[in-house]
Amino acid sequence: MRNVSLKIFIIALLICILGVLSIYSSTYRKEGELWQNTYQRQILWIVIGIVIFQLFSNLNYRRIWDITNVLYWVMVVLLFMVFILGIVRLGAQRWLRFAWFNFQPSEAAKLIMVIFLARYFSAKSVDDIALKAGSFGLFRALILPFIFVAIPVLFIVEQPDLGSGAMVFLIFLGMLFLSKIRIKYAFMLLLILGMAVPVVWNHMRDYQKERIMVFLNPNVDPLGAGYTIIQAKIAIGSGGFLGKGWLSGTQSQLRFLPESHTDFVFSTFTEEWGFAGGLILIFLYYLLIRQAIVIAEKTSDHFGRLLSLGIALMLGMQIAVNIAMNLGLAPVVGIPLPLMSYGGSSVIVTFAALGMLANINKTRAVF
Amino acid sequence: MRIKVFHFLSIAVFIFLALSLLNTQVIQGDKYRDLSDKNCIRLIPQAGSRGNILDRRGNILVGNKISYDLVILPQDPGESEVTLLALSKVIDVSFAELKKRFRSGYIGPTAPVTLLKNIDIKKAVLVEEMKFDLDGVMVQPSTLRAYPYSRLASHVIGYINEIDRWRLTKLADYGYKTRDMVGFGGIEEKYDYYLRQEDGGLSVEVDHRGRFMRVLGFRPGSSGKDLQLTLDIRIQKIVEDNLAGKKGCVVIMAPDSGQIFALASSPDFDPNVFIRKSNSLIEDLVSDPGAPLVNRAISGLYPAGSTFKLAVAAAGLDTARINRNTSFKCAGNIEIGQRQFNCMHVHGQQNVVQALAHSCNIFFYRAGILTGPQQIHDYAVRLGLAGPTGIELPYESGSFIPDPFWKKIYRFQNWYNGDTANLSIGQGELLVTPLSLCRMTAVFANKGKLVTPYLVKAIDGQDVSSAHSKISSAHLKENTISVIRQGLREAVTDPSGTAGALANLPVEVAGKTGTAQAPGGAAHGWFIGFWPFKQPEYVICVFLERAGAGTASVSLCADIIRSMAMDGLVEGAGK
Repeated sequence: MRNVSLKIFIIALLICILGVLSIYSSTYRKEGELWQNTYQRQILWIVIGIVIFQLFSNLNYRRIWDITNVLYWVMVVLLFMVFILGIVRLGAQRWLRFAWFNFQPSEAAKLIMVIFLARYFSAKSVDDIALKAGSFGLFRALILPFIFVAIPVLFIVEQPDLGSGAMVFLIFLGMLFLSKIRIKYAFMLLLILGMAVPVVWNHMRDYQKERIMVFLNPNVDPLGAGYTIIQAKIAIGSGGFLGKGWLSGTQSQLRFLPESHTDFVFSTFTEEWGFAGGLILIFLYYLLIRQAIVIAEKTSDHFGRLLSLGIALMLGMQIAVNIAMNLGLAPVVGIPLPLMSYGGSSVIVTFAALGMLANINKTRAVF
Repeated sequence: MRIKVFHFLSIAVFIFLALSLLNTQVIQGDKYRDLSDKNCIRLIPQAGSRGNILDRRGNILVGNKISYDLVILPQDPGESEVTLLALSKVIDVSFAELKKRFRSGYIGPTAPVTLLKNIDIKKAVLVEEMKFDLDGVMVQPSTLRAYPYSRLASHVIGYINEIDRWRLTKLADYGYKTRDMVGFGGIEEKYDYYLRQEDGGLSVEVDHRGRFMRVLGFRPGSSGKDLQLTLDIRIQKIVEDNLAGKKGCVVIMAPDSGQIFALASSPDFDPNVFIRKSNSLIEDLVSDPGAPLVNRAISGLYPAGSTFKLAVAAAGLDTARINRNTSFKCAGNIEIGQRQFNCMHVHGQQNVVQALAHSCNIFFYRAGILTGPQQIHDYAVRLGLAGPTGIELPYESGSFIPDPFWKKIYRFQNWYNGDTANLSIGQGELLVTPLSLCRMTAVFANKGKLVTPYLVKAIDGQDVSSAHSKISSAHLKENTISVIRQGLREAVTDPSGTAGALANLPVEVAGKTGTAQAPGGAAHGWFIGFWPFKQPEYVICVFLERAGAGTASVSLCADIIRSMAMDGLVEGAGK
């Protein structure tokens, strides 16, 4: 049993190392101490992340059940604070400034919503300890959780961080599907989301609309919004089969590729390591998701099961959307690549989620 | 169950991502690799210098001087404007002008744009000093054509200018590119392949703002090959000084080899105009009714006038229709067909020598009719008066001699004796270039050899004159030549000879004048001749457009010979 959590830990660490190498490569030639230290700060986040992983893997996940509501409301308050106090960064207010670091509540919101929904759908009847979810009506199955999801999502979208907002909604949709509620409710939500698209479109900021238009055809605006997509594709494509070699990627080092150490770290990585490296990375990510699914299959406790599946969903979707957007297959939305992209919030939240997975694996036998 | 679906879906998504990655990196990899290189590699050309053009003594006729060009590497549109604004203050050129030049010179994000050519050295130094405030701005040394003798021999040399569309389509296979500087007209055009430098270049890596990062590779430019011409700048200068202000041309050639000593056409042009790229001056040159860009000596076609009588005499004598003693009486006019043909004077009884000396038309009308137009045509061809001479200059026109067959085919008319009479005095449809007349004269100077005029003596130090001088026999009888030579000499020595103005020179000259009637104005003045009479070293052809009579050309020739004598050049050519 210990074996599985070690596996998760090693895979995560391997991905982190590849991430640090790419961050170093994309920043070491840029002037300024802030750039030069980027990789060191990422290492620091990873070290903190490892501590968090250990913490959560030893913390009985049922304890999280107990504090789920607290977590949910703390998250809402933090998101509200971002909404009110957030500092302007990259034209978006996504950060809360703490003593010496910036915290991004929307990263935590993804995990907290997974926990919240896992608990919501695994509530048991007091009478016969049967799962309530199977007998949920429309209101309890769809409308009530929709409201709980909508509150944080509204704040996230207002930041504005459409990508993370949509991500939380997709997690909601996926969890509906994976929970024991009747399948028709999941499809109903899908239908509602589909119908909401035009409404959302009208409420999007101009730059967000532009990104989607440009995603459909990057050559509309090759020097503006399409620039990133084109440069990312050039970076990835020019890597070829074996890549240009570490520290030799011209696209990222010479700054043709914006955000080369954060959202577009995948392009930086594949430019230097080629298709061979990219395939290995994708495979490592798959192994990680597979571990979560395997743990879920083995776990009979509904909360633990749904929580592992939710974590798999959360990580899998972020990975897929980020890589797809690097490859020009999805619009450019601010979704980081878990464990690779530079950023403390994402690294710590991902390690926390993996820690929970390890703990579910360790303690499920108890129930 | 739902978990299985989820697992299956995630596997599908990861496989899809891997396949997309395969498509982008491996299948389309080459395309993106190319785009990536274009993104960050800029080529900065480093021009070599074009070959020098020397005269026969090694004096530099055309050389090179260094010039400083202001070049900017394109950056993001906004940044380039900021840089241009800063630059406009440094070099004192208006921002709008710089912007205009940047726009028109912009090829793509990878190519540096030349903003200003040939800037002042002080400004170049200033820009270099301010380099750190001017992102992407560079001062690039390049070479410019320099003309130490200014306009001298401008028609022989030609000029250089940016390649035009027509030349580019012709020459693209030989490695010519847009914006190459190539020769136009003259030696510069004909020998562009040899003169042309090979551009070297610096390939540098730049970042997304076009800022220089490091040098990737360097190839030095190589210079073009030097050409040594047969021209003698001393003679060329004398000729041009005497020709200045007149319209016409002069060719001086070595009769035995075909080497051109001097070739001048007036009005001429200043090749610096094209270097300075002054559009208004270029416009003036092109639209000038005096056609200063046309080299009259090779491109101009004119009626030969009486100079053609040499060919008529040669035909008559060689075919034995006339001989040394054949004489006709000149009464001032003669009726041929139903038309009256005139002579300048009443010469009385004239033989061929006298007729050449006095340029008696009546003798040649009758001798021509005796000989027949076909024979005259055939001998003119032997004397090199049909087609171009083959000199290595572009845009040479071919001389043309009519004959009865041609007239039948192209004019649907019969050939009459009146046509023969006209042909015999070099009028009618016959048209020659001054160079081809000079070449014809050389046959009598060198006693029977038809030479090919040429200008290039050596390429890159290698003597190529043996390859260039093509000498063949004109197939004339010795007697024919000596009779005509005597006639040419008497034109100078006979007190009533047409070229009497050349009698009192320090050298024995022989020659023939010509006054060619041309529609639409005064007659053209011709003089062809050679000296020293016994062992000719120079053969000359003087042509003056609308000069009224051949005498104007004779006096110009006398002035040239006198000046040459003063410089000790009149004998011992080529030494």
